[in-house]
Amino acid sequence: MQILSVKDFLTLVNETLRLIPSEAFSVEGEVSDFKISQGKWVTFDLKDEKEDAKMPCFGTVYKITIPITQGMRVRVRGRASVFERFGKFSLNVEEVIPVGEGALQKAYLALKKKLEAEGIFDVSRKRQLPQFPERIGLITSKEAAAYGDFIRVLGNRMGGLSIIHADCHVQGQYAVSEILGAFQSLAALPTEQRPQVIVLTRGGGSLEDLHAFNDERVVRAIFSSAIPVVVGVGHERDESLSDFSADVRASTPSNAAEMLTPSRVELKKFVEMAEDRMNYRLDEMLRSMNHSVESTLRVIDHAFSKTSHGVNDTTMRFTNAFDRFRLSVVATREHIERREKGIVGEFGGVLERSKARIDALSRLVQSVDPKRVLDRGYAIVRSAKGLVRDSTMLAPGDGFSVQFAQGMIEAEVTVKKRQERLL
Amino acid sequence: MAKKSSSFGEAFQELEEITAWFERGDVDLDEGLKKFERGLELAGVCKGKLAEVENKVIELKKKFAVLPQEDEVI
Repeated sequence: MQILSVKDFLTLVNETLRLIPSEAFSVEGEVSDFKISQGKWVTFDLKDEKEDAKMPCFGTVYKITIPITQGMRVRVRGRASVFERFGKFSLNVEEVIPVGEGALQKAYLALKKKLEAEGIFDVSRKRQLPQFPERIGLITSKEAAAYGDFIRVLGNRMGGLSIIHADCHVQGQYAVSEILGAFQSLAALPTEQRPQVIVLTRGGGSLEDLHAFNDERVVRAIFSSAIPVVVGVGHERDESLSDFSADVRASTPSNAAEMLTPSRVELKKFVEMAEDRMNYRLDEMLRSMNHSVESTLRVIDHAFSKTSHGVNDTTMRFTNAFDRFRLSVVATREHIERREKGIVGEFGGVLERSKARIDALSRLVQSVDPKRVLDRGYAIVRSAKGLVRDSTMLAPGDGFSVQFAQGMIEAEVTVKKRQERLL
Repeated sequence: MAKKSSSFGEAFQELEEITAWFERGDVDLDEGLKKFERGLELAGVCKGKLAEVENKVIELKKKFAVLPQEDEVI
């Protein structure tokens, strides 16, 4: 008999187990106690439905490529071994395949239900995308048509962006691990290089093709991503569990590009409109300011001019009055002068005329001076009746006086003679 | 790159805020002039960014978890 250490014995056990050819057997049973640890490793127990027997299974990212849920029937192929550290027996899964018709579909629906119950798809937890992301993380295969579509449509809408591309298989055995790695790497970038949004995208396909996007680990990676995630799979009607857990679901890769940024044309229009609006409003403000300044000025001006009008008025009236006064003074003076002259003139005139008249009169008087007449030899005869001009006034015997230039006599009529008129 | 990231998004947002201010019709001329100047400045920045044609694609070198060894179990 050999004495062995524990380690040695377990090594022996494992060597013996390795003798079972893994390609030869496929173990069928029911999945139970399904767990994912550290987002990568899958463990479950494969239960015998009939007998009380179960086998722990352990799978890595690379091997388990279908969604597995509790109660699902599967066939597992792998290598039985004992983990020496824990002394635990388990099957290292090489491959898992679903059993029965529509098993994959059933598994898919079961997983969907489970995740929904956990709140993974809750709308309330979905985050808003940044309005103008400048760094966009892209998880997809460079060979996929989705890649080209996305880059092209994005380029049409907006320029000056950085796209950080994590090249990944989108199906096959490497897909899940690469996608998980991509999420990790993008999140690990320093702040100034880290994308502000992540796009996970691929073309359409069958349920098998979309296995990675239906993988519970990928769904949870999307859910727990600190950076908002946009998922766009194939065409409108393609759906995957990743779509449901995304912050934003795009119908296609192109649609994902559209959801990320507004179009440059729209933005330019807004900016130009903003400029116009500001111009217009500022103008309005200035005009209204002007208006109120002007109306204030007008009020002041009006008040002032009323006053100044009054002053003006008064001044004018004063000036007018003074002018009139002055004029009247002048006029008066002139008048006086004229009148003086006039008076003199007039008076002089009057005097002259008077003098003239007086002279004339005096001459006349002189000419009719009785004395002068008498000097010429005429005599004035007077009777008792008065001046005698006519012989008829006397009869013989009447007494009469005769005045000569010198002296006077008294006489009596002796005889009356008829005489013609002298002249 | 840090400078760039404070350009379009923030400029655009500030421009939106200033436009909204103008629409509110607060007639403070002094502030209006200041905001107008800033608004035009921001519009210039935005238009400059919008004039950029190309996007840049950066390939990420990713490092994934190495295949777990058998004894590296949960």
